[in-house]
Amino acid sequence: MAKVMLGGKEVEVDEDGFIQEPDLWDQNVAIDLAKTEGVQDMGEKHWKLVNYIREYYQKFGIAPMVRKLCKDCDLKLKEIYEMFPSGPAKGACKVAGLPKPTGCV
Amino acid sequence: MIEKSINIEDVLSLPLDPKEQKKAVEEKVPCVAEGRLKVYDPNTNNVKKFLELLQSRLNRSVVGSMTACVHCGMCSEVCHYVLARPHDPTMVPAYKGDQIRRIFKKHFDWTGRIIPWWVHAGSPKNDEDMNRLKNIVFGTCTGCRRCTLNCPMGVDTAILVRLTRGLLTELGIVPEGVFVVSKDQWETGNQMGVTEDEYLETLEWMSEEVGEEIGDPTFKIHVDKEDCDFMYTINPREVKYDPRSIGHAAKIFYAAGESWTMPRWGWDMTNFGLFSGDDKLGAFVAKNLYEAAKKLRAKRIVISECGHGYRSTRWEGYNWAKYSQDISSESVLVTLIRYISQGRIKVDPSKNSLPVTFHDSCNIARSGDLTEEPRWILKRVCTDFREMFPNRADNFCCTGGGGALSMVEYKPLRMEVAKIKAQQLIDTGAKQVCTICHNCVDGLGDLIRHYKLDMQVVQVLDLVANALVVPEKKEEK
Repeated sequence: MAKVMLGGKEVEVDEDGFIQEPDLWDQNVAIDLAKTEGVQDMGEKHWKLVNYIREYYQKFGIAPMVRKLCKDCDLKLKEIYEMFPSGPAKGACKVAGLPKPTGCV
Repeated sequence: MIEKSINIEDVLSLPLDPKEQKKAVEEKVPCVAEGRLKVYDPNTNNVKKFLELLQSRLNRSVVGSMTACVHCGMCSEVCHYVLARPHDPTMVPAYKGDQIRRIFKKHFDWTGRIIPWWVHAGSPKNDEDMNRLKNIVFGTCTGCRRCTLNCPMGVDTAILVRLTRGLLTELGIVPEGVFVVSKDQWETGNQMGVTEDEYLETLEWMSEEVGEEIGDPTFKIHVDKEDCDFMYTINPREVKYDPRSIGHAAKIFYAAGESWTMPRWGWDMTNFGLFSGDDKLGAFVAKNLYEAAKKLRAKRIVISECGHGYRSTRWEGYNWAKYSQDISSESVLVTLIRYISQGRIKVDPSKNSLPVTFHDSCNIARSGDLTEEPRWILKRVCTDFREMFPNRADNFCCTGGGGALSMVEYKPLRMEVAKIKAQQLIDTGAKQVCTICHNCVDGLGDLIRHYKLDMQVVQVLDLVANALVVPEKKEEK
């Protein structure tokens, strides 16, 4: 575990760069997290996706399936990989401030 | 690729963090409440329990590996942990094995009684010692078995590592990630906690996507269809995060005119029991799958691209589940070879023109003897295939094996020792590295990002689907 500066505040992240205190998440944190994922510009679609993941997580305590992302955010699977090169699990979920997904990912 | 070497003491002294275990107890998660999955109890004599369990697990192959090591050092020449950190004696496979061997010698072997100082016989004194053992067996070895093949005495260090992991799992002295994934697999039958509705919805979605692509809106991935030629089983990662591979497989099976189905339950061919050393979990997961195939009267089980899933489902699972191997199983690669050699599908290698190399997954090549099949296919679906050296059973681990991806606390060490793999990848000059394991996809992906390599990870199904010539309709790409 290490403390890093994200969005102008000190946030604890795990060895994969996922933030440990979900409550500290805000838009500025997300923008900086996105940069660690090689996403320089968070466009409208990025925000829609990230906010959706975040709300889903707050409601159900688990990351949404990629099916839900595509359907509810009206995105093609390919687009998600274009927006977040590391994919929905390691890319989009990280920017949305979720803990690292469990299992073989 | 010069990196600061980490202090190994920081890894070996990582504390036990049973937060998720406590949560599971509070929430009365059935597998924990019923004792199938153990949680850490600081008020019990864990050392005594550990020794009793060890005694009950001793069998011929374990005792052979406990007694045969002569400390010749051959294992140190092949382990990527040692090669990357030659200054660190704790990286040597013989050292890792010795941590359990010394306990065996102290309590169960005559050498420990007569010449304990000579064989370094010793016993863990308290939970702290066992926590250190946890960090050694979970954090400093991916169980890749490269040392096993290089041992002149036939010592299988990975067996000792898995045995020790299993004993610690029985005491709840495990990394958080291992506990959480085991819990999910016990509770939902798959390691990512995918519900049945989500699974079925994703299959429907992929059916629509494939149907659109091949111009057949009636196309459907059948679920629980009886008497098919095979039952297709997958890694939950495919459903949860990246179902493109399901679509690719479905498209190829369609083109080959295959009669196939996926089961409603028993579709997860991965098995965390292999990684945690928990044979009971191994038996539960494997049996779900075998029973599903039996119920559906499938002629065979086809296993999608996954290293430990292949090993667990095709080899180890029958022993864990004490299940007779009535229905044969095969890797999807064998299925693909059948299609190509019988002319059931046509492929155009010019669709894949980037230079591609192949990474043999440990559990498939070294522990599964499937080495020529992927090369046979790659040479037919790509124009520029380049061998990686060493390869086949001698290949290096992706560095994410043995469940390492789910144990994030050990990632800095994992990335440091990945420099061996990174160099191996660079030397191929390839732009794509193909593997037949979802775990390797992420293991390689992590190190490619870490070492900033100009390389992309692909799988055999991706390349075959891309090269597939669908006769009725012109190719989409």
